[in-house]
Amino acid sequence: MTHEHDGSTIDLEQALDRYLLERRITRRQLLERIGAVGAAAALAPIIAACTSSAASPSPAPSASAAASAAASAAAPSPSAEPTPVPSPEAELNIYNWTEYIGENTIPSFEAKYGVKVNLDFFANTDEAYAKLGNDGGGYDLSFPISVDIPAFVAKGALLELDKSLIPNLKNLGAEWADPKYDPGNAHSMPYMWWTTGIGYDTTKVTDTPTSSKALWDPRYAKHIGMLDDYQEVFGLTLIQLGYDANTSDLGQLDEATALLEQQKPLVRVYTTNTREMMSSKDNWIGHIWGADIYTIQESNENVLYYIPEEGGVKGSDTMAVFSGAQHPIAAHLFINHMLDAHVSADNTNFIYYMGPNAAAKAFIDPAILSDPSVNPDQEIVAKLQELIDLGPELRDEYQKRWHQLGR
Amino acid sequence: MAVEPPIGGLATPAPGPSDIDAAAAAGGGRRRAPIGNRLVSGILLVPGIAWLLVFFVVPVAMIFVVSFGSRGPLDSISLEHLSLDNYRRALDPVFLPTLLNSLRYAAATTILSLAIGYPIAYWISRYGGRNKTLLLIIVMLPFWTSYLIRTYAWQIVLRDNGVVNSILMAIGVTSEPIILLNTDFSVILGMTYGFLPFAILPLYVSIDRLDPALVAAARDLYASGRAAFLHVTLPLTMPGIIAASILTFIPAIGDFVTPDILGGSETTTIAKVVQELFLQGRDWPYGAALGFMLMLLTLGGTLLAIGPLRREVGGL
Repeated sequence: MTHEHDGSTIDLEQALDRYLLERRITRRQLLERIGAVGAAAALAPIIAACTSSAASPSPAPSASAAASAAASAAAPSPSAEPTPVPSPEAELNIYNWTEYIGENTIPSFEAKYGVKVNLDFFANTDEAYAKLGNDGGGYDLSFPISVDIPAFVAKGALLELDKSLIPNLKNLGAEWADPKYDPGNAHSMPYMWWTTGIGYDTTKVTDTPTSSKALWDPRYAKHIGMLDDYQEVFGLTLIQLGYDANTSDLGQLDEATALLEQQKPLVRVYTTNTREMMSSKDNWIGHIWGADIYTIQESNENVLYYIPEEGGVKGSDTMAVFSGAQHPIAAHLFINHMLDAHVSADNTNFIYYMGPNAAAKAFIDPAILSDPSVNPDQEIVAKLQELIDLGPELRDEYQKRWHQLGR
Repeated sequence: MAVEPPIGGLATPAPGPSDIDAAAAAGGGRRRAPIGNRLVSGILLVPGIAWLLVFFVVPVAMIFVVSFGSRGPLDSISLEHLSLDNYRRALDPVFLPTLLNSLRYAAATTILSLAIGYPIAYWISRYGGRNKTLLLIIVMLPFWTSYLIRTYAWQIVLRDNGVVNSILMAIGVTSEPIILLNTDFSVILGMTYGFLPFAILPLYVSIDRLDPALVAAARDLYASGRAAFLHVTLPLTMPGIIAASILTFIPAIGDFVTPDILGGSETTTIAKVVQELFLQGRDWPYGAALGFMLMLLTLGGTLLAIGPLRREVGGL
């Protein structure tokens, strides 16, 4: 081979996106899996590859005056305005998931600031990230998944947030002040979050399980479903062992692998389609996406959901302002608006996802607050861990052991 | 007035071995066509070659190049230092069980497709009469629905409280559901169901071309029905059998959809691993190397199968 391609790099985002697409589909309850599987063979993304060495963006008008976020100031007033109120641009271009924002959320922002919001929707990260590119592709603000934030930051796609424009930051729950994927929320703001946990059919699993060890119970042999996702599976097992869900200690990882090897003969199926896993009634207990529980209960009302007492895995979406934003002030004001306790609560009441907003809880529908699958107890929330991008070397170690399991 | 010579291979009227002769002629083989006809045949080749180039040669070449690369920053593909590292990793014995799964499923699917497809093709050819075309359309009928949807339908049939188990329990064969879904059985069933039409069509063509007079001659010479089949029918339809085997084995060994939908915890195939390396693993060079080796394996198997095919055709 000659070195004719010296230095060229091909962006792998498309591949990542397709993977995330599949996960997202289970979460978003869309029936587009067909398209995803069919498209998996396509090699077109290589052609469309772009170098990721990234034109560095002009960083935002610097920030972090009030970076000492959150909890300390559990102030009485749930809404705050930046002082002095800056005048926003006339428009704001937002790119969001479909059916992922309350019906009044945007009109109330438009009315308050006289900004015209142009809202476009996407159904999967594949299409979204392709359009957003390295600068937002004309959109000021979008909702990337938290695990992707480091990659967006690394290629300079996001503006650093000016916290002086986001006084409602004080409403943010303490556990969101310094997420691993974006230390200090420098480039993103949490939007909504969810958990991965365990679903079980009460007609077959009669003694209310509380531990993730129930997935190792030989009484349920060949009726146990596991997620086909090595980070989730290792995450669950590592947490059960009392370790970090993203551990880089290979000894701990080997321990988890040994446990999973014991479990494998009992497992019926590994799949990311957790709705099908539990609706079919073939599996009595399964490792599932928390957001799928409602759909599962529609076809099998006997399925209940819990987060293991040892702790669980959570994921989240963020709001981020892109480096090419034409309306950055309006975008910041929008983020501030979303962190308003009333607005955030309205949003949750509409879309049934919990936000990171501690002050909003007072205004959220009690039915949602009392549903442990959407709003787990604070002591469980404290034990939730977010999966992070492991990076190539560590990912290889996880993947090698996953292959060892015959996956 | 001279008789018009056939244009390339396409105007050859009678199907049969002469097809191959004519094709060889078009490719500059034994017979030489006049220059004008060579031009026409050249033009006719353009779409096919363009198709192959764009949808086969270019992607395969890209995979080939990528397979020597490595991961760059941000999971990009770096071609700065080309090496055989990925091939070394792809030869890891950890993949042996998954590779064996793939081979097992593909072999079982091929054998079952032949065993089921041959009698069907034979029956259509010999007893189909005026309805042959209709019967062949019926064979193709499943293609009118997406393969995915049909495979998902098997989930409903095979699950614990599905159609099969309900019947078995109703007639008292079993009191507890038998686990059918997520097993070797369901994967092989799904693949055989999916690839059977690919076997029936070439089998039908070769059986239909077989001159019944040859079989009649064997019987006249006191061959039993069984002997006539084994010594006349079977050898003469061998090209169809080999074509059918290739057309089922190749898609079966690369299939990751069926094991994904109908398989379980123990049915991982090598194609599934390749898919995962590309998507979740974000390691295209590694996935490309593994995929390329699978491709070489398939190619080797095909060449082995084509050897006898050539001999058979040559012997006709």
